[in-house]
Amino acid sequence: MSPAARKLILPATIIALIVLTVLAAPLLPLADVRAMDIPHRFAGPSGAHWLGQDEFGRDVLARLIWGGQASLFIAVGSALAAAVIGAALGLLGGYFRGVVELLTVRAAEIILCLPPLLLALLVVTILGAGTWPLILALTILYTPNYARVVYAATQQVRGLDFVTAQRAMGTHPLTILVRTILPNVMPPLLVQMSLVIASAMVIESGLSFLGLGVVPPTPSWGLMIRAARSAMEVAPMLLVWPSLALAGTILAFNLLCDRLQSALDPRSITAGGALWLRPRARRATAAAMAAAAADKAPLLEIGELSVAVRELELVRRVSLTVRPGETLALVGESGSGKTLTGLAMTGLLPDALHVTGGKALYARRDGGRIDLAALDEDGIRRLRGDEISMVFQDAAAALNPVLRIGDQVAEAIRAHHALDAATLQNRVVDLLRHVGIPDPERRARAYPHELSGGQRQRAMIAVAIANNPRLLIADEPTTALDPTIQAQILQLFAQLKRDTPEMGMIFVTHDLAVVAEIADRVAVMYAGEVVEEGPVSEIFARPHHPYTAALIASVPEGGSERLVAIPGAVPSPHAMPQGCRFAPRCAHAEARCGESVPEIARPAADRITRCFRWEEVA
Amino acid sequence: MLRYIALRSLVALFLVWVVVTIVFLLLHLIPGDPAELLLSQGSIAADPQAVAALREKMGLNAPLWQQYLSHMAGVLSGDLGASFRDGAPVVDQIALRLPRTFEVILGAALIATGLGVPLGTWAAIRADGKADAVISFFASAALSTPVFVVGSVVILLFAQQLRWLPAGGFVPFSEDPVEHLKLLLLPAGTVGLALLAVITRMSRASVLEVLQRDYVRTARAKGLRRGTILRRHVVRNALIPVLTVLGLEMGTLIGGTVLVEFVFNWPGLSGYLVSAVDARDYPEVVGIVMTISILFVFLNLVVDVINALLDPRISLETS
Repeated sequence: MSPAARKLILPATIIALIVLTVLAAPLLPLADVRAMDIPHRFAGPSGAHWLGQDEFGRDVLARLIWGGQASLFIAVGSALAAAVIGAALGLLGGYFRGVVELLTVRAAEIILCLPPLLLALLVVTILGAGTWPLILALTILYTPNYARVVYAATQQVRGLDFVTAQRAMGTHPLTILVRTILPNVMPPLLVQMSLVIASAMVIESGLSFLGLGVVPPTPSWGLMIRAARSAMEVAPMLLVWPSLALAGTILAFNLLCDRLQSALDPRSITAGGALWLRPRARRATAAAMAAAAADKAPLLEIGELSVAVRELELVRRVSLTVRPGETLALVGESGSGKTLTGLAMTGLLPDALHVTGGKALYARRDGGRIDLAALDEDGIRRLRGDEISMVFQDAAAALNPVLRIGDQVAEAIRAHHALDAATLQNRVVDLLRHVGIPDPERRARAYPHELSGGQRQRAMIAVAIANNPRLLIADEPTTALDPTIQAQILQLFAQLKRDTPEMGMIFVTHDLAVVAEIADRVAVMYAGEVVEEGPVSEIFARPHHPYTAALIASVPEGGSERLVAIPGAVPSPHAMPQGCRFAPRCAHAEARCGESVPEIARPAADRITRCFRWEEVA
Repeated sequence: MLRYIALRSLVALFLVWVVVTIVFLLLHLIPGDPAELLLSQGSIAADPQAVAALREKMGLNAPLWQQYLSHMAGVLSGDLGASFRDGAPVVDQIALRLPRTFEVILGAALIATGLGVPLGTWAAIRADGKADAVISFFASAALSTPVFVVGSVVILLFAQQLRWLPAGGFVPFSEDPVEHLKLLLLPAGTVGLALLAVITRMSRASVLEVLQRDYVRTARAKGLRRGTILRRHVVRNALIPVLTVLGLEMGTLIGGTVLVEFVFNWPGLSGYLVSAVDARDYPEVVGIVMTISILFVFLNLVVDVINALLDPRISLETS
């Protein structure tokens, strides 16, 4: 049983108990609800009257249980009636659309133009108080709610393949509606039902409280509260009991609704907020190491870095080096860990993921070296966007839709530098011009949705380079773009490299053509490991790992005559092969590949490969 | 943008017309003669001649469509007719009582947003933690307790037991501002508690949703401080659906404060409606229901427009 389903047990049990108790009212040894006992009015709890006696000396416990029957009967009755009518309207409207939709769902929605209590009040006063007028009023009131919910669900289901298939086979629409669509819209219908019962109880008790609902002497919780109000000073508990019963029952139904919702729709439970927002130290800030940076010292030196979600290693012992002015491409299929490696450098890993080992030594602007993997949130925040910045894949999602482009660039600068407004504004416009956005003064005042996809990515890049970063991490910055725009953005990156010769860059991509164009060195990643690394020209000319070779062969214009797809799929992190992770898909695999993990081999001074048979790979 | 507002206004006007017509028909087609009702006292039947004379005077003998047309003409010129009961213009009563109902709703909205947004945000940040469990439980409990229960318990507690505040009643602001506000506090707080629960839950869900968005990661990548990210990127975007819900809830409350006005003896519009419905006073009922539904529809319109202003994408999508 899933945790979400287990959470249903509590409210479901409470509701079952309440329903059973009120249903069993005739069988229970309760006092007569109408038997008055004026001499003992307002008497406290006693053996015969567990909860005491009311203003006419009637037994409070008996009235509470019978009152619950009245309330629940009205609420459940109207919720069911409204569900049947509303579901029918919603199904018809959602399936047939057009005029039918207008006559069913839209017509029912007119009811929503009136405040609910007002409508109930109108109906009840026209028809007189009593149980049946109440049920009618509540049925009218809640029909549009069901109609809406079922309508929305029907529309979703109706577009699905199996419904289209049935239509194509000539099944009668009503049969499709009842047999196929109705079962599929049941979950939202159930959620709505528990919500409506709770809400109907609120209105029923409210009307009874006003004296417009259940007619005395029939007991009802609303009436009991009404009566208790006038005796508040003498017997406050008379007010407390029905209040507790009413609020408790409604709460149980509301809880059931909430938990049904999360049980039926797992997407609605978003994983626990955001850890980075919680002010607590993740790890002690590692002291900056001695400033002993030589001239040719690397900008970033990742050593044996691992990233895991719980026990599952997604990135395993990755070692990479980026020198100033150098562009390192991280290449691999989806799930190879290339993006996670990039995110780990900026402390932006999703909450569930953690760096579990290794280090990432970064040479700061002031010459000190610091381990990025050991920094706490605040420590890495000072570097982020200033010395190390990121360009994300989908600029449309990565830019805040309700802030102007200029403001989004400006806040990146302001996060690290105190500038006056005019200087800041000039700097923003300069940046936008620098990344090739035409008419930057005006575009600075535009919202993201007013820009084209290419311009949004340019704006994203302007944000990233706003503080002249020493290390730029670009996570598939061209993937979401049209081919022509891709080329323009790549040119922009090339231009940035020329303009800032000291900036190092990590370029995450799955596109080998892009690698050839932009990168100096390339690291090929597979299933969380770096399988080969070296200068781009050498690796492309002579790969030393079968996976690299296969990747190159699978590029349409890769220079190879044959176009070969790699058989099989990337192994799941739950079922990693024992030996070489690529062995199951490898044309060169032999017995030892499946048994032991290949050590890193060095075919040349600045190349590595993780293959036993690298010498035989052409 | 203007096109969007114009379009939404047209829809709103149409809805108001539909509601006014439905209420008019509902009250005229149901059995029960208001003239007879007015003249009869208890079980003593009214004099048939007097009833006929009164029907003539009230225009009830004209065909329904004529009554409808003259009614609509009156509505368009701002005349809602005179009360059957005392002959006073209905508009005057509405103008007198509507602000009082507004006071309660605005007070409640202030309490609810002022506390609900921070509480909901806090619960979202601590999602699945202890603070979240406590906040979420209280929100559910507050949402599940009908206003008249809260009202009654609040009176029991603050007026009867602690004697901090008066149990109910009304004093015009111009007569005694302090007493007026003291009397307002309990009804506004009672309505505010339910609204607070709605706003808290909505804020929590909305903040949780926004926290998963890419642009929040971008904001972190810029190296912005926690507070800045929360304020500029998270809460600002999360507020859009919260405001929508607040607007809708306030619309519902315009006609939904009946119980609170009853519990606290607050002479607002809703209480007036209950007595009007009770007396079958057509002009009063139609006038009040129309006022409420116009306000309701208008408020929804305002919410949509504010949403469009907050989220520049909306007006583009619909036009």
